[in-house]
Amino acid sequence: MTFRSDLKQLLAGRDFRGRSRTPRSAVPFRKPSPGLTFRTAWTRSKAARAARRGLHAGVLKPLVWAQTRPTVEGTEYLDGLTGPVIFAANHASHLDAPLILNTLPKNFAGRVAVGAAADYFFTARWRAIVTTLAFNAFPVERFGGSAKQKQASLAPQLLDLGWSLLLFPEASRSQDGWMSPFRIGAAFLAWSRKVPVVPVAMRGTYAAMPRGEWAIIRGRPSLTVRYGRPMLPHEGEAARDFNVRVADAVHRLWAEEELGWYRALRESHAGRIERPSGPRGATWRRLWEATRPIRADRPERIWSSSSR
Amino acid sequence: MSRPGFVLEVDERTPSLLVHQGEGFRLEKFPLGTRVIYPPDSLPGIRDLDAAIRHALLNPHGTPPLPELLRPDMKLTIVFDDISLPLPQMRPPDIRGRIIEHVLELAAAAGVDDVELLAANALHRRMTPAELKRAVGDRVFRAFFPKHLRNHDAEDPDGMTHLGLTRHGEDVEINKRAAESDLLVYVNITLTAMSGGPKSVAVGLGSYKSLKHHHNVHTLRHSTSFNDPPNSAMHHSYHRMAKVVEDHVKVFTIETTLNGDNFPEATKFLQKREWEWNLRDQASLLAFKKANELTPLKLRREIWQRNDAPFGVTGIHAGDPKEVHPLTLANVHRQQLTEIDGQADIGVWGLPFLCPYNVNSIMNPILVMSLGLGYFFNLYRNKPIVRQGGVAIFYHPMPNDFHQIHHPSYIDFFEEVLTQTTDQAAIESKFEKQFAEDPWYTHLYRNSYAYHGVHPLYMWYWGAHAMEHLGDVIFVGADRKAAARMGFRSASTLADALEMAKDTVGGSPSITYQHTPPATLADVR
Repeated sequence: MTFRSDLKQLLAGRDFRGRSRTPRSAVPFRKPSPGLTFRTAWTRSKAARAARRGLHAGVLKPLVWAQTRPTVEGTEYLDGLTGPVIFAANHASHLDAPLILNTLPKNFAGRVAVGAAADYFFTARWRAIVTTLAFNAFPVERFGGSAKQKQASLAPQLLDLGWSLLLFPEASRSQDGWMSPFRIGAAFLAWSRKVPVVPVAMRGTYAAMPRGEWAIIRGRPSLTVRYGRPMLPHEGEAARDFNVRVADAVHRLWAEEELGWYRALRESHAGRIERPSGPRGATWRRLWEATRPIRADRPERIWSSSSR
Repeated sequence: MSRPGFVLEVDERTPSLLVHQGEGFRLEKFPLGTRVIYPPDSLPGIRDLDAAIRHALLNPHGTPPLPELLRPDMKLTIVFDDISLPLPQMRPPDIRGRIIEHVLELAAAAGVDDVELLAANALHRRMTPAELKRAVGDRVFRAFFPKHLRNHDAEDPDGMTHLGLTRHGEDVEINKRAAESDLLVYVNITLTAMSGGPKSVAVGLGSYKSLKHHHNVHTLRHSTSFNDPPNSAMHHSYHRMAKVVEDHVKVFTIETTLNGDNFPEATKFLQKREWEWNLRDQASLLAFKKANELTPLKLRREIWQRNDAPFGVTGIHAGDPKEVHPLTLANVHRQQLTEIDGQADIGVWGLPFLCPYNVNSIMNPILVMSLGLGYFFNLYRNKPIVRQGGVAIFYHPMPNDFHQIHHPSYIDFFEEVLTQTTDQAAIESKFEKQFAEDPWYTHLYRNSYAYHGVHPLYMWYWGAHAMEHLGDVIFVGADRKAAARMGFRSASTLADALEMAKDTVGGSPSITYQHTPPATLADVR
């Protein structure tokens, strides 16, 4: 072998300083860090709430509403509802939280805390501050976490303090616009605290701003935020069964987009509505269907308080 | 704290890896997914060796302290491992010499007059005076050589004692002086799990009559592996023989273990993990490789042979061999053992310049074979690295070159026997007696510095288990004729070797590269 070929072989894969990246299997194991402990009480202070109201009314809502055409349905179910509730919604985009927070009736709008992934929003201090201030967010451990962290979860305390919660039981934004199974956390919390769950389905947010994008696509895409009837666990109902019922309610609200309210209700009772998981087959077909614009000629509701 | 051994999976980030091949090395880009077994990082050596030696001698396992075993009128024999250990040779002062000095201090204090020192060279070549001096140190050498410091002579008709038979009918014959001693102190270096323990006296001071009971094709085929004593028929035989020795001679053993520091500071990159090479390491590697390639073979050999290893000593245990050896093995495993899941279709080994039988000598083709298929293939516990019927790929130039003084019977074996057959069982039945009892070879073994006449056959048997287990053996970069003579195929590059291996293991084989030296013992799960 010549000196040149030796040199070439030696330098292959090394940077200009001659350093090689460590092969993945050689990266030393590190104990997962306990995560950033971030206090969120300040974000529920009067000053922070005022700042948040200003941010939403002055920046977020005009920005989102200028670039999308949201349709909101089902807010009538929230009329007369008092006390803390848990909003359980599907999750496909960073648009989801601002859409819900800005479409809620006034009695809820300023009293909702949003569960946000501890391993995503709370790993850097600046990101934690922005998220907490803008959405009254609190950290949620998605992947188990230690017993200590679980005990330290703020959700029960917030409910006790009268704050409603917005939780996304899929635990993460959808990869392809379709829904994942609901984890039991939100339903269990409601079941154990005897708090009503309001199912919420959002359509079109994935097409408008999917995972990995930080701007809304052009053309003012249509979106739908559809609230369902508040649900409480039945007498003797297990938390797991309650979780299934909440998920079914969200699936039905999702299907209302194509079927309309009454047909969706009928199909749901007949057990013919399943979790919207998209067509089977090639990935492009799933993405294709997930990004299909919401039809403008969808069936009208018989009665509605929609703010189209 | 030293990092444990681990198994690397080659991915797109993995740089070219170092592969030894005789008196040189090359960089090799392995296929993605290849698993590479790395040994644990070198353990720290004992700082105060003298204190550790004193502590071991005064606090032995299973025997009274050494001073209590010494008395003025006794016959004391100190036996030490020969030139085949450690590999490479240890940077002076050799640990054997340091220990022997301490033993002699105690013997002098007890007033022992009759002291002899023996190199346990079995059927290996005699050590030269210079080599003896290096092993035992100047002071000991001056005081004892040549009358009371000598090599064991397995062919001395008056120098061997038959101690009896094992329960399997194996002859146990050892050096007469050792057999007649009141106390035999054995100073050992355990470099791999196959050495030390019951092997030391029964083999190191044995004769052909004794050794043929375990150094034979049947036993070696059932030694799976040599480095896994509970699964080694050879070690079972050693244990039976050691029991007979124990009934006749009082043995006080002192076993030592070394860390993985095989290379001096200037070539330290040879035992660093490749992605951790800094600019200096890379510059050293390129410069050393180029200079090495430009150096004539003879001089290159000389340079590599003078590569004294700055070994650190990781443990010293003394006392009853049965109680000491498990402690020694635990230390060896601490330094060398790496766990790996499952066997591979292809195993890859880079064979270095040195094996136990070419210290200050030449690695001839038979020794290359025994290093690859004997020593390196057997660096496993539980299961071989390669599956049954798999392929072994070794790197070595395998020059058709023999040391005329050290390996005379090897030359005849290579030229006259391997041209007729490579079948080990056939060689054993047809040629072993002839080579073992040839008077000229015996004369050279006793009076020159030649390995025993039967030694090349033993080296050939050494690969018996591997040859039976493997579907094919390919040597990369080897002399084609030399490899073909021994029934192996040769390839120019790894890519060629993998292409050739397709016939045996198919087009997408799993590959494991055992990255050694330093020695890596794979615990295959």
